[in-house]
Amino acid sequence: MPYLPTSQAFLEQSAQLLEAYPDTTRITTKYHFPTETPGARAKRSKSQAKKATTSSPDTQPASTQTQSAPVAALTLKTYNPTTGIVLQYQTNKIAEVSRLITSLGKLAAGADVASLGLSGAGVGGDVEMVDAPPVEENVATAPVVSGKGQGQGQQGQGGKGKKKGGKGKR
Amino acid sequence: MVPHLSNEEFFTSLADLLSKTSQKARGSVFLSQKPLIDGVSNAPPSILIRATDGNTNAPNPKSESKDGKITKKASSKDKIKFSTVVNASDLEAFYTRYADICKAGMTGLKKRDRSKRKAKGKGGATKAAKA
Repeated sequence: MPYLPTSQAFLEQSAQLLEAYPDTTRITTKYHFPTETPGARAKRSKSQAKKATTSSPDTQPASTQTQSAPVAALTLKTYNPTTGIVLQYQTNKIAEVSRLITSLGKLAAGADVASLGLSGAGVGGDVEMVDAPPVEENVATAPVVSGKGQGQGQQGQGGKGKKKGGKGKR
Repeated sequence: MVPHLSNEEFFTSLADLLSKTSQKARGSVFLSQKPLIDGVSNAPPSILIRATDGNTNAPNPKSESKDGKITKKASSKDKIKFSTVVNASDLEAFYTRYADICKAGMTGLKKRDRSKRKAKGKGGATKAAKA
């Protein structure tokens, strides 16, 4: 059960899985706080209190109260019980929540990979979309490698741009 | 079995559950969605949405007393679970509100880091305009 590197990869593969098994696949969203031993909790609150005093001594009591909470996480899981396929994606950023949930709605409505890709272009960014289609073929076999591939693709593009600029100047 | 809530009731229960979990900074909220397929009609299926706090009402086998009976502790809290069915036609409107409520309720997640963006200047401004 792999954790996919990007939300885009997760949504695309989930769309494929839903397409293949529309009646048995389900998507679970888990919002959870980490379980902590009392010792770990004490340690964390101590270090955060230290930080708070160094950064803003005046507002210490308020900031320690708000900061003492651990950071929660959101795990999305697409599961198909008949084939035993599980796709997972985890994030801890509130900024991603809205986009992820609306995408889940599109998946529920039976959106295919293509329409999801288009919606991603509007929200995400142009660079990712350029790379997405070729990467996505590799993703089916090896999701971890695909993450690296995407990174390399972006780097490669950046390099090209620089080279071109250099030639123009000379 | 508890009957399904209406979409509106579901939202209020969900907002309540999320805010309680965030306040305690402990525990989980599970949300699941799956299509309700009756196998007869070919129309796009309704979606069943379930929410739970992941607790169980089953007694803990470890708390078995000497005479072999399993007694449930009075202090253990009841499992929270509720569900709703969304018609295929209402999906888009439902998920827009669903996303809003999740975003508002999941306050335990990392906030957007504004400080970096201000430093970037131009890029930050365009991004902010998009959002």
